[in-house]
Amino acid sequence: MSEKIQGKGVIAGIAVGRIMLAGQNIDGYLVNYKPADTETEKKKAQDALDAVAEKLQKNIEMLKSKEMLEQAAIMEAHRMLAQDPAMGELIMTKTEELGNAPAAVLKAAEENAAIFESMDDEIFRGRAVDIRDVGKRIAKYILGVKEPELGEDKVVLCGQEIEPSVIAGLPTEKIAGVILGAGSTTCHAVIIAKARAIPTVVGVGDAIDKVADEDPVIVDGETGEILIRPSEEERAGYNEKIQKQQELKAHYAELAALPAVTTDGVRVELMANIGSHMDIDNAKSYGCEGVGLFRSEFVFMGRQDIPTEEDQFKAYKEAVEKCEGKTCVIRTMDIGGDKPLPYLNIPPEENPFLGYRAVRISLQRRDLFMPQIKAILRAGVYGKAAIMVPMVINVSEFKRVKAFIEEAKMELVHEGKEYSDKVEVGIMVETPAAAVMTPVLAKYVDFFSIGTNDLVQYTLAVDRGNASISYLYNHFNPAVLQLIYKTITSARENGIWAGMCGEMASDPNAAVLLLGMGISELSMSAPSIPRVKEKIRSISSLKAKEVLADVLKMEDGDEIKAYLQKVL
Amino acid sequence: MTEETITIENKTGIHARPASIFVQTATKFKSKVQIKAKGKTVDAKSILMIMSMGLVKGTEITICADGPDEAEAVKALRDLVASKFGEE
Repeated sequence: MSEKIQGKGVIAGIAVGRIMLAGQNIDGYLVNYKPADTETEKKKAQDALDAVAEKLQKNIEMLKSKEMLEQAAIMEAHRMLAQDPAMGELIMTKTEELGNAPAAVLKAAEENAAIFESMDDEIFRGRAVDIRDVGKRIAKYILGVKEPELGEDKVVLCGQEIEPSVIAGLPTEKIAGVILGAGSTTCHAVIIAKARAIPTVVGVGDAIDKVADEDPVIVDGETGEILIRPSEEERAGYNEKIQKQQELKAHYAELAALPAVTTDGVRVELMANIGSHMDIDNAKSYGCEGVGLFRSEFVFMGRQDIPTEEDQFKAYKEAVEKCEGKTCVIRTMDIGGDKPLPYLNIPPEENPFLGYRAVRISLQRRDLFMPQIKAILRAGVYGKAAIMVPMVINVSEFKRVKAFIEEAKMELVHEGKEYSDKVEVGIMVETPAAAVMTPVLAKYVDFFSIGTNDLVQYTLAVDRGNASISYLYNHFNPAVLQLIYKTITSARENGIWAGMCGEMASDPNAAVLLLGMGISELSMSAPSIPRVKEKIRSISSLKAKEVLADVLKMEDGDEIKAYLQKVL
Repeated sequence: MTEETITIENKTGIHARPASIFVQTATKFKSKVQIKAKGKTVDAKSILMIMSMGLVKGTEITICADGPDEAEAVKALRDLVASKFGEE
């Protein structure tokens, strides 16, 4: 029987292979280790340091000969750590103290890693992982734990965490995919996998325990789906998918470099929706022109206290820099009772989507909002940042946000911190109230970005998570289209830009309608960009306007959907 | 013993890549090589020690070497810092 587990796909592609458990836990070996006298232990530690450095040197040469310079540089840093005199000295001191070489190595690595972890600079903090990795490698050598051995088949590396050295030390053609139990997309293991375009799924959690060594497996790095012990039919299905994917990939790679422009020269900006600054590199490979929605929630989630201005500044700065002069729209916190955070203290609500959430919280919680605003204004120095406020329903909310921003600027001046005065401030149009009021709101904001996921849900009073009414959820419903058209028109009449960052933007047929309405930007999850771009490049703005005119005469969402499928 | 004082001019200071290059260069010499900065003295052949000093742009460091090739060692490291590690 096949078994499915779900993670988060971070590097797209389908991998077929056998599981190789990596990053094994060495605790068991440690417990059973019988140390000899201190002198022998010290010699064992020294021999292990030399052997590991030598093995790493071989890896580095192999990587260099294959022009894998980024990975060679990471391994070079590991080699230097293994031969570091300060590290060596600490290991010897600890060996004398503990009388146990592998334990001493791990302790020494941990102490050094802790120093780096406490540093202010993100690059330094990242080195902590490398130091622990090297420590583990040396300890494994002493304990006699085998490094993964390769057979004929391609392998899918699987572990709660996998040391970067394990991936870097294996030849690319042998690794089909990577599965990580931990959720981090920023670890070196993922960076190396990305550089090699190895399909990767992270955040599987404890489900990883269901996987055994040598299990045949299929990994979908796009959907995050993992199929253990797949049946013949499932395999055949995936083989077909792999072939199609390869053809599409080649085609999309050509498209990535081309602009999204209609046959008669109307340009639409296609941007990416991202959850973290780490997503941008991948998004760029699909040809995005900046970020239309940076969900700042990830900065707030998974922690016990309010993120500081500095923490946020670092994340936003990196995102803004990676956009290389293109716009990076950062949405302020959009959290409510549905995603409880320990420091928010929101009591359970009957209806969190109509409750205390997003800007409604931000405006009442200065301790939350002020650091975020200041962090974005400061990040603006490094490129083109924009602030987007979610869940706005009236003009006065936006005016209060603006007052906050002015206050934040004054505080920054007072604190002597550099910030940008050119950060655009706009709103997410996702409530019917905001859409109806766009002619007024347009006088105050720098842009509108239409959030269709909530706009459809609020306009039609349809919970999209409710399967029994999902047939009613349709972004082509005329009521929704009218609100969108009104928003875009209000923007054009007031000389500001309007974009869309909801799922509708990734529907190529919808893109044609929006083009006809005069939208200037569409933001979507990056893998959808090529499809939408292809559609835009195949049509004229004149034709888009004709289609829109026809659609506006229709009375029913399903009719519109069917019509678009027929004519486009 | 030979020593020389120089100010770090490259933008990122001595961490990450510059630190690796610095240590690799220091390791080529037989002499004992040390760096004095901010009132501390550390082994210039240890990337851990160097990185933990937080040598940012504008920091003044003294490179000292003691041993058979001390003059060459100090010169090589001084030149490296002066070259801004090939950065701006």
